[in-house]
This record gives sequence, C-alpha cells and structure tokens, in this order.
Amino acid sequence: MSLGAPAGLPDQQRPKLVADSLNVRYPGRRESALADISMTMPPGEILTVTGRTGAGKSTLALALAGFIPRVVRATIGGSLRLGDTALSSAEPGALAGRIGVVFSTPAHQLSASKRTVREELAFGLENLGVPRVEMDPRIDAVMEQLGIAALADREPLTLSGGEQQRVAIASIVVMGTDVIVLDEPAAQLDPGGTADVGVLLQRLAADGRVVVCAEQDAGILGLGRRCLLLDHGRPVALDLPGVTLAPGALAPYGLRAPALTVLAFAAGLSPADAFDEGRVTAALSAAAGAGRLATQVPTTTKALTIADLSPLREVEPASIELIGLVHRYPGGIDALRGVDLRIEPGEAVAIVGQNGSGKTTLVKHLNGLLRPDGGAVRVSGNDIRSRLVSDLARQVGFVFQNPDDQLFERSVEREIGFGAANMGVSDALRSRLVARAIEATGLGEQGSSNPYDLGPSERKLVALASVLAMDPAVLVLDEPTAGQDAPGEDRIEAIVRAWNQTGRSVVAITHDMEFAGRVFGRIVVMRQGQVVLDGTPAEVFAPRNEQLLASTGLRPPPAARVAAALDLQVVPMDAFELLAALRT
Amino acid sequence: MTTRASGYFLPGDDWLHRRNPATKLLMFVAVLLAAFVLPPAILVVLLILVAVAAVTAGMLGPLLRSLRIPAVLIASILIVNAFFLPGAPTVIASLGPVHLTAEGILFGLTTAGRVLVAFCASILFLLTTLPDDLLEALVARGASHRIAFVVLSAVQLVPQLQHRAASILDAQQARGLSVQGSLLKRIRALVPLVGPILLGSLIDVRERTFALEARAFGSGRPRTAYRIVPDPPADRIVRWLTLLAMLGILAAAVLGLGR
Amino acid sequence: MNVDWLTICAEGQTEGCIPAVQLIYLIAIVIGAVVLALIARRSRDLSTATLALMPVAIAINVAVGALIVALRLPIYLDSIGTVLVGVLAGPWAGALTGLLTNLIWSILPVPGGAGPTIAFFAPVAAVIGLMAGFWSRRGVFQLRSDDERAGGFLALAAGFAASLVALLVVQSTVGLSFDAADPDSQTRFVTLGIVIVVIGVAVAWISNRTIFRLRPGEPRTLSYLAVATGLTTAGIVFVLLRLLFSSDGYFSTLNGSPESALPGTDLSGLALADPLGLIIEAAVAILAGIAAWRWATRGNRARLFPVWIGGLTTGLVAAAMSAPISAGVFGGVTGSGTDALVALYRTLGLSVFQSAFAQGLTSDPLDKTISYTVVYAILLALPVTVRTMFSRGETTVTE
Repeated sequence: MSLGAPAGLPDQQRPKLVADSLNVRYPGRRESALADISMTMPPGEILTVTGRTGAGKSTLALALAGFIPRVVRATIGGSLRLGDTALSSAEPGALAGRIGVVFSTPAHQLSASKRTVREELAFGLENLGVPRVEMDPRIDAVMEQLGIAALADREPLTLSGGEQQRVAIASIVVMGTDVIVLDEPAAQLDPGGTADVGVLLQRLAADGRVVVCAEQDAGILGLGRRCLLLDHGRPVALDLPGVTLAPGALAPYGLRAPALTVLAFAAGLSPADAFDEGRVTAALSAAAGAGRLATQVPTTTKALTIADLSPLREVEPASIELIGLVHRYPGGIDALRGVDLRIEPGEAVAIVGQNGSGKTTLVKHLNGLLRPDGGAVRVSGNDIRSRLVSDLARQVGFVFQNPDDQLFERSVEREIGFGAANMGVSDALRSRLVARAIEATGLGEQGSSNPYDLGPSERKLVALASVLAMDPAVLVLDEPTAGQDAPGEDRIEAIVRAWNQTGRSVVAITHDMEFAGRVFGRIVVMRQGQVVLDGTPAEVFAPRNEQLLASTGLRPPPAARVAAALDLQVVPMDAFELLAALRT
Repeated sequence: MTTRASGYFLPGDDWLHRRNPATKLLMFVAVLLAAFVLPPAILVVLLILVAVAAVTAGMLGPLLRSLRIPAVLIASILIVNAFFLPGAPTVIASLGPVHLTAEGILFGLTTAGRVLVAFCASILFLLTTLPDDLLEALVARGASHRIAFVVLSAVQLVPQLQHRAASILDAQQARGLSVQGSLLKRIRALVPLVGPILLGSLIDVRERTFALEARAFGSGRPRTAYRIVPDPPADRIVRWLTLLAMLGILAAAVLGLGR
Repeated sequence: MNVDWLTICAEGQTEGCIPAVQLIYLIAIVIGAVVLALIARRSRDLSTATLALMPVAIAINVAVGALIVALRLPIYLDSIGTVLVGVLAGPWAGALTGLLTNLIWSILPVPGGAGPTIAFFAPVAAVIGLMAGFWSRRGVFQLRSDDERAGGFLALAAGFAASLVALLVVQSTVGLSFDAADPDSQTRFVTLGIVIVVIGVAVAWISNRTIFRLRPGEPRTLSYLAVATGLTTAGIVFVLLRLLFSSDGYFSTLNGSPESALPGTDLSGLALADPLGLIIEAAVAILAGIAAWRWATRGNRARLFPVWIGGLTTGLVAAAMSAPISAGVFGGVTGSGTDALVALYRTLGLSVFQSAFAQGLTSDPLDKTISYTVVYAILLALPVTVRTMFSRGETTVTE
C-alpha cells in the first residue's frame, strides 16, 4: 500500500538524490570537510557510509538533508539535487517533509513537546498543514508498517533508546519523506535495538525511498546495496558492501574489517556474498575441506601498546563481592533480583544484556551511587553501606556513558586532573598521573584544548582519562566503545589490558559482543535483574546458550555463529581465531 | 522530587475539567481582577467562590494539599508586614526595635488574602487544565503555534533537566567531588555541577534543531492541529457572562464602590 | 461629577483616592501588553535553532532558579538562560524567553518555587532579555582583548564616575535636599540634578572622542580595562566602607540603645571619626583597587569589565522595575532569601516601596553581574558548531 506519499505522487515516481562533485567547507577551516562526492542514489536503495571518526560522515548527512547552508553555516560547492530541486538553494517550504534525518542520541530526535507517541508522529503532519482527517489513517498505517503500534499511547521521553529511534524514524516517514538520512542511528542502542533499526531500514527501502545510513556496526553496513567509504572527507570506495568492507580495502584507512568479509576473503568467496552468513559458512567449509583457505589476510590490527599503568598511589588491588543484591526503583520495579557476583583482583569482566536488564543498576552499586534494598556490596571484604560516593571514588573509578554529564573545566588537562585534585594528592603526583592518563588515551595534542571543542568520541576519552588519573583499585566502564571507531576501540582495548597487567580489575558494560569476547576474560549475562550466564567468552557464547542469549536480545559474535554452523568444537571470538582453528 | 511534565494537572471528568481552557482562563482573570481592584472585603467572597468551585469539581483535596507551596510566602507577608510596616502608628506590642502594629496586621492580611485568592484560583485552573490543551486552545484563537511549541517543550524539558542534574551529581561524586561540608565547600561544588548542566544542554540544541527541521517545523506553511480541544456551546455563554462580570468589576472599581 | 478619587493616595491615606498599588498594576499590565504585542510580532522571524534553544534556556532558568530559591540565597540566578538567548539570538528572543520563563515557572510544581505568583515578575524578565540583546549588539560579549569598542564602555564608566563625583561634591557643599513644601528646594533639586547628569554625559562624550578613542588592535586597550576594573573596585569598596563605618554610617546607629537594630550590642565604636576614618577607608579601598587591577592584568581577565557594566546596568533596571511589583503585589515580601534584606531595610526606616527598591538595588546588580559572567564563561566554552547556529553566535567571544 502507499504509505504517506505526498498527494498525487505515486510511489514509483519518487525522485532520486544526485550529488555531483559535492564539496563542503566549514567557516574558518582551510580543509574541506567533504570533497568530490559524486553519486546517484535511486529510490529503493540503501546506501551505507563508513569511515573513521571525523571522516565527514556527519557532514554528508547534514548536506544530504539539505541543512547546509540553511541550518548549518558552511559553504557548499558542486550540486546536490532531489529530483528537480537543488537542495542548497531551495526555499525551506519546498523541501519540507521530503527529506528526513536522524542522528545518534535517541532522546534528541524527538520534538520533546508531545505527550504521546501518536501526537509525536502528528507533529510533522501539523507542520505540513495536513488536514486533520488524514492524520490518523497515515499515523496508523506507518505505525503498523514499522511495528511500533504498541507504543502509540506511551510518553515519548520515557521510551528506551531503541524505541525512541524507531519513533523518530516513523515520525519522519509519516510525512511521506522521499529520502531518509541516518547518522549512526544505532551507536547508543543495544543489539536488539540495532537489529530493529536494521529491519526498519530494509522496509523503508522496499517502500521505494532513498535510505542513506552512516554506521560503525557491520550488521547495518552489510544491509546496503552499496557502501561508501570516506577518508578525510574524500570518497575512497563506493561499491557493494562486501567489496568496500573487504579486509584489503579497509586496511589502508585504519579500519577493522567485519568478521564476515574476512572469512569470505579467506574462503575465496565473491565479495558480493560476503554478508550472507549461510554462503560464507558453506564456502568456508568447502575451502577448509579442500585446504584452500587463504593464509594471508590483510589486517591493520597492530597491537597498540601503551605505557605501564602501575599504581602511583598507595592502592591495593581490591576484590568486589555482591551478595544477594536486590534493588527496587520507586514504583516497585525490581531492577535487581538477588545478584551474587565475586570479582577478583586482576579480572576483566564484561556485563552484557539488553536495555533494562539491570546492568547499569548493578554497576552503580559498586561505588555507592545506588544503595542495596537487600543484600550487600563488599569491596576488599568490607561492606560499603556507610561510605560516601566521593570517598569510595578512591577505590572504585567509574566512567559514565555520557561524558557531557561531567566535563566543565576550560582545558583537557585541568579536566583530567579534576578527580585527582578532589582526592587531595600532591601536585607533583597529580601532574604525573595526568600526564600518564593523557598518554594512555592518546590525547597528547589536545592537552590545552577546551574539552567541548573535541568530538564526542574524544570527549569520552577525556572522561576515561580523568578516572585513570585517579588511579583507583577497580575500573568500571559504562559503554566505553559506544561511538568509537576501530582505532578508538583498539585504544580502549589497550587500556583494559594494561590495567589488568597491574593486577587490578576492570568491569565494563558493553553492547558489542565481539569487543566483549576479544578483550574480556569473563562475561556476565544479565536478564531481568538476574545473572543468567557467567563464564569465559567461550563458555558463554557456546552454541548451547544461543536460546538463552536470544532471550535477552543477544547473539554470539559472528565468528562464533559461523563456527557453530560448522559444528566446530571451539568457540572463536573473531575471524582470525576461527581461521586458525580451521587450519589445524 | 522531580517535576512532572503535566504540571499540576490531575485527570478528571467533572464540570470544570470539561470547560474549554480559554473559558477557564477568562474566569481566572476575572477572579484576579476582582481580588486586586475591589475593596479587600471581596476577598472573603472570592475565597468562598473558589472553594465552592473546587468542592463541586471534587478538587478540594488537591487544592488544600497544594497550599503548602505558598505557605512560606504567605507567612512571610504576614510577619514582615505585621512587624515591619513603616510609619504605622497603632503599636500593639513592642519587642526591641520591632513593633507589632494594627495597620501592619491589616495590610499583611489584605496582601496575603490577595495572594491566597490568586494562588487558589490559578491552582484550580492548573489542576483541571492540561498545558497541551490550554496552548492548543490558545493557538486556535490566534496565538503563535511556534511560541506554543516553546512552552510545551520547556514544560517537558524541566523534568529532563532535573534527571540530568542527578546524573551529573553522580558523575562528579564518582570523580571524588564532595558535596557535603562547609557552605564555602558547597558553593565551590556548584561549578562542576552547574557547568555541565548548562554546557551539556546547550550542546544538545544542535541535534534538537536538526530534529525540528526534519519535521518541517521551519517550513512556514499554515499549520493544522492534531489535538482536538472540545468547546461545548455552554462555554460560549459562560465566556460572555464572564466578560460582562469583568466589565462590572471594573465599573465598580472606577466608581469607587464601597469606598 | 466628583473626580476627587482620581488622585493618588498619600502614605497612610485610604479614602477617596486611587491606591498607588492599583496604579502600578495598571502600568505593569499596559507595559506587559505592549511588550507582548511587540514580541509576538518579532517572534515570526525567529529561526528554528532559536526556537529549539529557547525551551532549553527556560528549563535552565527554572532549574537553576529553583535551586537558588531552595538554598535561600539573597540572589536569584533565574535569568542565565534569558541573557544567553538575548546574546545569541537577539533582544526579542531574549525578551520572550524571560517572559515565558516566569509564566512556565508559575505553572510547574517546581520544588522551592513560590508557585504561580512568580508570573507577576514576567515583565521584568522580559526587559532583562531585551537588555541582554541590546548589550550584546553593543559588543559586551564579543570583545577581543584589543577590540576598539572597549573605548565606549570605558567612556560610559568614566561618565558615570564623573556624575558620582559631582553628586558627592554637591552633597558636601550646597547640599541636595528635597522638601515637598518648599518650591525653591524643588527647583534647586531639579537644576542640580540636571547639572550632574550633564557633567556625566559630557565626560563620557568627550572621553569617548579623545582618550578612549581606540584603534583596532590597540595594545593599550587591555591595560585601560584593567585600570578601570581597579578604579571601579576601589570606588565601590570606598562607598561601601563609608556607608558602614563613617561617623554617621550604619554602625553609628548600632549604639546599643533599645531603638537600634541590635539592642544591647554597642557597635558604634566601629563608626570612625574623620579624618582617621577617611584615611583608613581610603587606604583599604586603594588596596582593594590595586588587588583588582593586578588580578585583571593577567591574561584576558580585563575583558570582563564590559561584561560587568552590562550586568550592573541590567541589574539596576531590573531593580527599578521589580520594586513596584514586589511592593504592590506582595507588600515587598516574596518568600525567598531576599526577605531578610527587606526586613533589614524596613528597620532602617525605609517605606514599603523604598525597602523593596533598596533590596532590589542590593540583589539585582550583583545577581545580573554574576549571570552575565556565567554567560560569558559559557560562550567561551561553547563549541563553534553550536554557536554558529544562531544569528549572532558567530560574532560573540573569540579568543
């Protein structure tokens, strides 16, 4: 059926989006943020975009949305047309409702002025002046198509991130949009939410719209009919995702190839089929049987080594013990329902599970931000019931997910020294701690910059550095890799490893199963406020647990899934481990 | 305690809830006018009127509970005026430089009474009117829908900001910031707490702007309304009667009635 | 027809006249309506970015304002968002933000708030936004350390100082009394007033065209601003010390007698006789001035001088506007930390209106100066990508 198409414009006549030597430069910058982009995006096609942080993905999204120069001040060169309309010079009314854009922070994608999801969807229609009688049918049709009908009467700001992103996309689609542009829509979502967004993109393309989506998540990138790779604002590849994301193609740009393209390459499978898990499995099986597996796979993963992080203060590595931990939020919601967990010094523990499974509630007990309603928390064997958060901070360092909830100093250096200063360490020790934290996070050149002049992923590293500089006994990280590109992820991996080497433990919440499996020695899976699995990555991601994992919205990493399909006895965490197992 | 985005509103289906918000707003203005331009004796009548309206609408309980909000203000008005009204001659009792005066008590009672009437009438209005309905009703009568958006969005963002303040407090305490201790220490702690609130929420404005632009908010086309605010025929009559009453109040005030 | 009631009530008179209070409501309502109409006209030009900024600014005002009310501090800090919008998006957007802040604060059950009564101060908030926009257009927030427009602010300060000196000279020679019964004193009062104002304007005008005529990139600018900071600090400290410690100052009234504010506590010894007192007070003031000057010469701190001028003047206007509302509607009492000041001024013998105004004069300039300074710090920290979304964002603070 026709969904929200502008009156008198049948679906098949939706226009295409054409960029011709597109060039964008921000005021006061010498370098172009985007240069020489020429491509045609026909209706019904998903174009995915990848590249390192700062490669120009967001600028491309803003340009394709028609926001440059009308909303965002920048000079634009070349041409960008939707059908017959030039985007850079169109009247605001001419583009209204034709192009939609969604960015990564779910709560900011909503109008924040409506009481229910249904009214939120009506917001765009109101602005377009759609007659009242047409609104409800259009809203109902889109909610049905995008599978969010159950949310109709919920309050938008109380939804989960994944639900909010889907509502944001729906509220754009309902306007009859021809083009929908997304900039890392899944960066802050759990695996279930990411999968939902992926399904939604496919439905929109099937409905004849142009879909452009910048992402880091390999699953979403693989959905594209074509995938664009940007480097320093320039297009370096525009081809089938399997080709653009092939190991050899990504290596020169410092990006990590998705597990499936690595396996496809090793098996000699055509890159066009690289994102088809079934074919990759079959090809691998055939190639391994015939001994034809490629021995050399191009890779950029050079092990990043960072300075020794041995304690500079008098800190003893601490153990953490949770005994029958229960937490109840006001309103009687049981967030934690009896959690027993013991973390020894020197362990690296990843906590995984879908949104609302109690991960953040759990870790907030480790430094006293939340107090147990039942059970106890012990750090180094002592109950922390009566200790202040600011005092526990000496022992348990906690890095929050959103760095903007804490940055306030006028330079990165001062910001990183804030925690150490609060602990009252001597000036000499503090400058040593700060210098070491800056080096470990690779922020060396930014020491005197204003934290808010850095990009979001660098701001996250500043927040991490400020806790490293406190030199605590235990490090707790909430979603450390969200929004980080491959080099950023490698940086965090190196820090976790260096931290462990000093005999101190790390506890991290993460949505990235590959990262969890590769970096952490122990994985704790949570569901509805309880620990349902606890063990090494190989134990947790073993084929027998697939159902249990699915019940909390998780899937094993791709390499483990392929290994399971091949009936291998090992549970590999990445493609290279799998290949090594196949060769023996 | 965090603020709710629906303000003081309590759902209900009584005669006051069913009135169009514009009608209630006009009635509220009429009460306010009477309280401030008519002689103080009218305050008693107005209080009874508001109380009767609250009782018949089943809102007396919530109204009385909300009275703790202006309690400090009303007490301050009574005390400061009773003891500190300048130039009041009739001293009833003295305590050092402080004199309790008859004029002070009278002036304090009058002012407190006006504030009380204004407060009760407005609370009754807010208890029975959803902000969304009020603004949609005003937009339907020619108010700018862009300004209505600003109001509704601000009403939703206040609780959001309170949540954010709580996370910031968490994040800074986790970095060893102590928020207990001497006054000076607490004032110093304000910078790491208020700084991220201001900067963080201002940075969000960028994405919020994009979200609005993506919904054709800046399209400049004539807007239609989704929310339907009922306007029963009875409301029209009530509004005309209220307007007449307001004219009467003004006339009475100008003619010096009761003086 | 009897039109006697058309006179304004004198203090204590209640019969056959219009109470000043009601007249004030009427004026406030008319001003409010005019401002509202103007804002409504201008609001059509507001960009989407501005409309997205305003709710955030309002939420900031309410959240920070409620925090301060809860702490019972004698300031407000409920106009940081208003000033920010005025600076980034222009005076009318600022005015609208101020107006809506007070209206929204009154309909939200915010802990620590005084409830719907805060709506009465909406016109004041609107004018604060207007003034922030005005000052931003004059370059208060966009000065480079060597901006030539700094001269204007220095000249303004010089003119203000000249008026103050003239006032002191008149006060100590011919005297400046106003007697309602004596037409001669009234004429003299008005004449001297005009003379004082003219002196100030002349000094400002002449200095702006001579000594403070700065060229872009003038290295003197920063040192001028630093000196001005020092002089202003010295002046304010001196006046404060005189008010408190001079032989007929505040402490001279605390002689321990039952009529004084602190019966039984004799602090009149702190009222120092001239010339010793004068010398001590001047010395302390000069030391404070030197300290302020030294502080301001480091880095770009002297750039704060124009910011403070903006804050102080906004505070004065806000005090002048809120005093009649506060006195008229609440009898000068608002249930917040400022009530202690009101009670203090009343014991010092000021009327309902005067004590409300004096309280405003104490709280508002301080409050607005702090708010302007906070906004300046925010603008310094705000990323360029956010600032350039607003019509005036590009021209604010640059290093």
